[in-house]
Amino acid sequence: MTLELNRLTRDVDQMGQAMTVRRAELASRAAEAGRVLASQPQVTAELLQKIEKARQIDEWRRGAVPLGARLDERRRIERAVPRAVLIAADGSQIFPDRSAVTLYYLLNIGAIVFREGSGQAPACLNQPTLYYRDEDLYDADGQLRTEEYIGAQRNRLELAALADLAVAEREALGGDLSTPIVVLIDGPLLPWIRSGTDNEEVAREEIDFFISQMRRLRAVQAIPIGYIDRPRSAYVLRILELINMPLEEITRDRLRFGPFVGLTDGQLFESLLPGERTGLFEPNSRANERYEARSATDGVSGDRIAFCYANMARPGRNEEAELARLEMPGWVAGRPDLIDIAQSVIAANCEPGPFPYVLARAHELALVTEEERAALDELVSQVMWRHGMTPQLSTKAWTKQLTRHPRRS
Amino acid sequence: MEENGNAIEVGRVLRSSTADFTVGTQQLIADQDALTPRLGALIKTVGAQGNVFGLICNVTIEDDAFVRQLVAAGVNNPVMIEDQRQRRQVPVVIEVLTVGYGDGNAVCHRLPPQPPRTLDMTYVCNNAELRLFSERHDWLRIVLATPAVAVDQILVAALRTAAAARPSLYEQEQYLVGAGRELARLLALDLPRLDGILRQLR
Repeated sequence: MTLELNRLTRDVDQMGQAMTVRRAELASRAAEAGRVLASQPQVTAELLQKIEKARQIDEWRRGAVPLGARLDERRRIERAVPRAVLIAADGSQIFPDRSAVTLYYLLNIGAIVFREGSGQAPACLNQPTLYYRDEDLYDADGQLRTEEYIGAQRNRLELAALADLAVAEREALGGDLSTPIVVLIDGPLLPWIRSGTDNEEVAREEIDFFISQMRRLRAVQAIPIGYIDRPRSAYVLRILELINMPLEEITRDRLRFGPFVGLTDGQLFESLLPGERTGLFEPNSRANERYEARSATDGVSGDRIAFCYANMARPGRNEEAELARLEMPGWVAGRPDLIDIAQSVIAANCEPGPFPYVLARAHELALVTEEERAALDELVSQVMWRHGMTPQLSTKAWTKQLTRHPRRS
Repeated sequence: MEENGNAIEVGRVLRSSTADFTVGTQQLIADQDALTPRLGALIKTVGAQGNVFGLICNVTIEDDAFVRQLVAAGVNNPVMIEDQRQRRQVPVVIEVLTVGYGDGNAVCHRLPPQPPRTLDMTYVCNNAELRLFSERHDWLRIVLATPAVAVDQILVAALRTAAAARPSLYEQEQYLVGAGRELARLLALDLPRLDGILRQLR
């Protein structure tokens, strides 16, 4: 074994002690945050003013705007949805490897169409795509594509697959709108764009593609939901920090070192009961602003992504709250009945644990294992031999292959 | 398992020896009402060197961590259950005892000179093939000599299947009587075992 665990035992022990102290300290501050929420839950004009000022002072601060009249709103899903279609997609990739026999990258999209109430096996799809041409591999400056770029391509393929499947499913239903279609994305709904990106055009392209797919989904009345399991976000806590802060005292330093830094909204809402969700909030992010600006059309203001927290635990099965953040476009957020349907369908799909089955399966369908990657490399080598080329690993890669297995002593 | 014209596909050979081979398939459970190859069913591999015939002597349904979690959580959602059965790549493993080889109308009740190759397709033998294969009883000796657990159960199942391939009740009965006589000869020194097999054949 390479990792000498015996050398780490003292560190691990100290880590455990530090975690215990930290946990107690966080619990104390979480209780304080809970008291602030309980004592001043109203969303006042003054609070909205403070939120706006905080956003202007520090755009890095991931705050949110409450859409309801109270911060402690709760809503409970009352009924199950017997028939619904749940569609999920996920992707994985093989990044280009300079040490491999040749340069290429692969994107593999897995998707599942789960027809709840049908009793039939779901439809599963798998779409691998190989990128090997110069225009695939290099950018305009001749630089090898970055992992960020490939991740964005993967995100696009996932979104397009979801929209394709939702459109096809609605057609298969003969346009019948009585069967809801819920489209699930593992993670935030908006495409991830590096903060402070210097290439606004790239950001715009990503957002425009996202908008085009959202419009396709909206046209067939599908409900897109971004599902964030065990969220680490603190949007609502950022709001709570402003409640007792006078407007004129809001400064960058006070915002960055607020009393609830280190806590998560999950700790604030762990008293949500199974099937309950919070009110809605809109993230104050640059991506959301871009989305709003780019989705605006003549005379119609743009859309904004909203979210709520929901407890996805099953009554009687999970003792502790299993919080998820559910993100949705504004046109879904404005329809509580659609959120009810989506929450109900997703909650019913959370098997065997409090995580959607379809997301687990989409991940499984998309995953490219090390063995599969090795098999693909082997296939590439064979083709190169057949065409008179000699596939050759770099010396570095060859040496790593020799030492990949655990050392003897 | 899929039906391709008259031939019912069982699966593809995973590993093999001259004495036995193992077949993997995905869809055994999904089609179990109509098409599952039963214990003792005669199947054949189709390869360049002719067919290898074998009796299904064990069927194992593999599991994995996902399936175990679903079972532990008591999941009853029929869509999830069908997904696990039909769509996930958890193979159903079928162990097969080799009992002969041949092609066309020539069937030898001996072990083949070479085992089936990896990924050879296997099919359930139809009634005509079953009748041809079981016309003589020499294959019984191979089965009886197998150290497999529950080999007598496999033998009984195989004889019943072979009998059922005969068109009339009279022929079915005559076939079982003939097989019983051969078994009596082969197991003359092991009467308790013979008795056990014959009782199950009645």
